[in-house]
Amino acid sequence: MAAETPTPIPIINFKQQALQLLPDGASFDACLTCGLCSSGCPAAGIENMDPRKFIRMAMLGMNETLSTTPWIWCCTMCRRCQHVCPMSIDISQLVLLARSNWPNDRKPAGIVRSCTLIRSTDSTSAMGLPPEDFVFVVNDVLDEVRATQPAFAHLQAPIDKQGAHFFVNQNSREPMSEPDEMVPLWKILDLVGADWTYSSKGWAAENFCMFAGDEAAWYDVTRKRIEAVDDLGCSVWLNTECGHSYYALWNGINRFDLDVGFRLESLITYYARWIREGKLPVNSDWNRRAIKFTVQDPCMIVRKAYGESIAEDMRFVVRSLVGADNFIDMQPNRSANYCCGGGGGFLQAGMNEQRRSYGKRKFDQIQATGAAYVLTPCHNCHSQMEDLADAWHGDYHVVHFWTLICLSLGILGENERTYLGPDLLALLD
Amino acid sequence: MTKERRHVSCQLAVVGTGLAGFAAAVFAGNRALDTALTGNTGALAYTTGYLDLLGAMDGGGPPLDDPWQALQTLQATQPEHPLCRLSPASIHAAFTEFTSFLGSAGLNYSPPGRRNETVLTPVGTLKKTLCVPSTMAPGTTALTDKKPCLVVDFHGLKGFSARQVVANLGGSWPVLSAARLVFPGMEHGEIYPEVMARSLETAATRAHLAELLREVAGDVTTVGLPAILGIHRPDRVRAELEKLSGLRIFEIPTMPPAVPGIRLRELLEQVLPQRGTTLIPQQKIKTLSFEKDAVRLDLADNYGPIVIEAQAVILATGRFLSGGLAADPNGIREPLLDLPVSQPGSRADWFREGYTDRRGHPINRAGLSVDDSCRPLTAEGRPFDRRLFCAGIILANQDWIRSRCGAGVAIASAYRSVEQVRQLLGD
Ligand SMILES: Cc1cc2nc3c(=O)[nH]c(=O)nc-3n(C[C@H](O)[C@H](O)[C@H](O)COP(=O)(O)OP(=O)(O)OC[C@H]3O[C@@H](n4cnc5c(N)ncnc54)[C@H](O)[C@@H]3O)c2cc1C
Ligand code: SF4
Ligand code: SF4
Repeated sequence: MAAETPTPIPIINFKQQALQLLPDGASFDACLTCGLCSSGCPAAGIENMDPRKFIRMAMLGMNETLSTTPWIWCCTMCRRCQHVCPMSIDISQLVLLARSNWPNDRKPAGIVRSCTLIRSTDSTSAMGLPPEDFVFVVNDVLDEVRATQPAFAHLQAPIDKQGAHFFVNQNSREPMSEPDEMVPLWKILDLVGADWTYSSKGWAAENFCMFAGDEAAWYDVTRKRIEAVDDLGCSVWLNTECGHSYYALWNGINRFDLDVGFRLESLITYYARWIREGKLPVNSDWNRRAIKFTVQDPCMIVRKAYGESIAEDMRFVVRSLVGADNFIDMQPNRSANYCCGGGGGFLQAGMNEQRRSYGKRKFDQIQATGAAYVLTPCHNCHSQMEDLADAWHGDYHVVHFWTLICLSLGILGENERTYLGPDLLALLD
Repeated sequence: MTKERRHVSCQLAVVGTGLAGFAAAVFAGNRALDTALTGNTGALAYTTGYLDLLGAMDGGGPPLDDPWQALQTLQATQPEHPLCRLSPASIHAAFTEFTSFLGSAGLNYSPPGRRNETVLTPVGTLKKTLCVPSTMAPGTTALTDKKPCLVVDFHGLKGFSARQVVANLGGSWPVLSAARLVFPGMEHGEIYPEVMARSLETAATRAHLAELLREVAGDVTTVGLPAILGIHRPDRVRAELEKLSGLRIFEIPTMPPAVPGIRLRELLEQVLPQRGTTLIPQQKIKTLSFEKDAVRLDLADNYGPIVIEAQAVILATGRFLSGGLAADPNGIREPLLDLPVSQPGSRADWFREGYTDRRGHPINRAGLSVDDSCRPLTAEGRPFDRRLFCAGIILANQDWIRSRCGAGVAIASAYRSVEQVRQLLGD
């Protein structure tokens, strides 16, 4: 809803605000102007801005330019700059501050809309899918699988099951646009005998309110999701393959100092555990043609949260699935990996040219591996890397972990193969 | 939400991921010591990539051709210098072990020779060093042979000027010219060596650049480029670019933020964990306490608190830039353990009057005093704790910038410290 005269953007005193934002002892004054942040930032140069320049301008009091630069919507708040900075200076905090300062009618409409939709139903779905529709879609898909896949005639997709161990969340894209993509996940949970449930409330994963810099809304969504888990008395909130949903909840809980009675875990950790325990008996025998795979470390669960342990789990899973010789790491990787450029709401911000320019770094990384497939447990990374393949003319495919796990186990249904290229499809025929 | 505290238990904890910390982790790994390593970006990030042993004597004098001979002199004139804590043969062994490790991990260096090599600096002056990255070594050969050579720079790249290099080298290199190119796909704005290097890891950019180089080289067959030949496996990038262009190609270091430091860091951060080191990347130790059964190190990463319990510790936290030393109105401190810092009597004595005084400034020789086992000493001259060792440029009685011995001090003292840790734990 654009006003006729756009609301002016208030001017922030960045230097003063920074003093309050930073932990004791840290200071933007400490910046050595060494440029390592900018050298390693894919957003450097977009909108004529880069992280070092941002810090310098903040210190010099150039508040008007910083308050109004659209670059803050191109910085994905991936914190790679902080990772390489000798002084650990975190530019993303200033960026979030600047974002929250923009009036809603000036913020990228896509991000604002997604946040509004999240708050429009009890689902907390960024696509606005109400609880009853979610329940309907899940049951509908389940009925069809039971009817058409004899091996899964008794497949379960419980909803609102009291006391289940796992509270499983789901990115709205699946129930909304590609419901068959939920099935591989259900099959995996069935196979390992997991005690799990969806919830009709707070099931959705996304949280664009965080990216919008709308603190109150972020808090609201966080509360709603916590309540949903507590209502069902689940022990573990299991984040499925969606990076920012993990970070938004985990970081929200810390930021707002909330008490929760459950643990937050990533599905990747469990994939690794189930494979180690023999519950998911995957192997790479199917990969007779030695098709090459690489993996994208989502910033939201690797650098910004779990760090090396989850990166290692992810590699263990990939090697088990495709064969150690067929896995080629991207460079750089793990906590030093580049953001794909889809994060921070960039995919929703409508700034396609800038987003693809940011993503060129990711595209080059993928090209350098020579891999035919990129595996990633994150929807934003997934969509962005697919778009980059189109934009920059790459010939790789992007796949979810659940797809490849079911492929390896020989249980990938016909409708569950959307993301496979011809080479993998040929193996299944 | 309460955060789980994660525990790491190990034989050796190395604090610092500069050359000293990394080298210590390499030596410890080779000796099957169970090792944890942590540290943030430090001085290593800004290095040229050359591994200097000793390029000049403190207090001035000409560049040194024979660093081994110079070490003997140093023994006589400055026995307190960290390079005098071990024999030249051990230093040679340390350099050999470290460069072989890098080579086996995919970053080739010339092995330590009997004499220093003469190499190019980012501005086209010459300096002495011991070990040279293979991507840069052909530059030294071309310089010695006075091969006609073209130095290329790029639009938008700061911190490297081909014209400046040529102007400075012209006297010693008769047929030398400069050219400027537009880097493929980077037509506008400021561009960084790191970004160019990553782009050169793709075949498409290599092919494109090779074509541009062939066109601009004309009759010249040797081309010097800024250090941009890939971060990962640069030797392969160079070889492929040579094959595609038919030219002899070498790298010249650039001003920071530069590629060689990023190369070393990314390589070691990747390879060390594969060989068994527990790495907690880009984090700093907050407190270090010596308990009866173990040394306890506390830190936190983004996920939450971590405790490392170790039987021995090597402190390799660098100088002011890296946070190993800190200056305040009362003098120079060592912030982690408040170890006594050997330093000039008062702030007024930190610097000599002339900034370029050939004898150097006293503040640059400040640092930790250690015993022969590289153990930091208390004010009373006793080891602070038998489990604490110290390596790198945090050590007192050296001026690494002036005597061009940064890598030498780091690698040699890391070697010595690890030997001593092994002895301690073996007892
Ligand atoms: C511009 C420049 C150019 C250089 N060029 C050369 C060259 O051509 N040849 C050469 O041989 N040398 C060169 N050097 C020097 C070389 O990089 C250093 O000698 C070498 O890195 C020193 O090693 P160090 O490990 O002792 O210290 P540093 O590299 O400074 O490393 C110290 C480490 O300790 C970490 N640290 C500090 N406090 C803590 C804490 N509390 N907890 C955990 N970690 C901590 C830091 O994060 C850092 O990782 C150059 C240096 C600079 C700055
Ligand atoms: S990396 Fe850190 S110290 Fe260097 S310019 Fe960027 S913010 Fe400043
Ligand atoms: S947070 Fe990421 S995108 Fe933003 S300035 Fe830092 S490195 Fe660049």
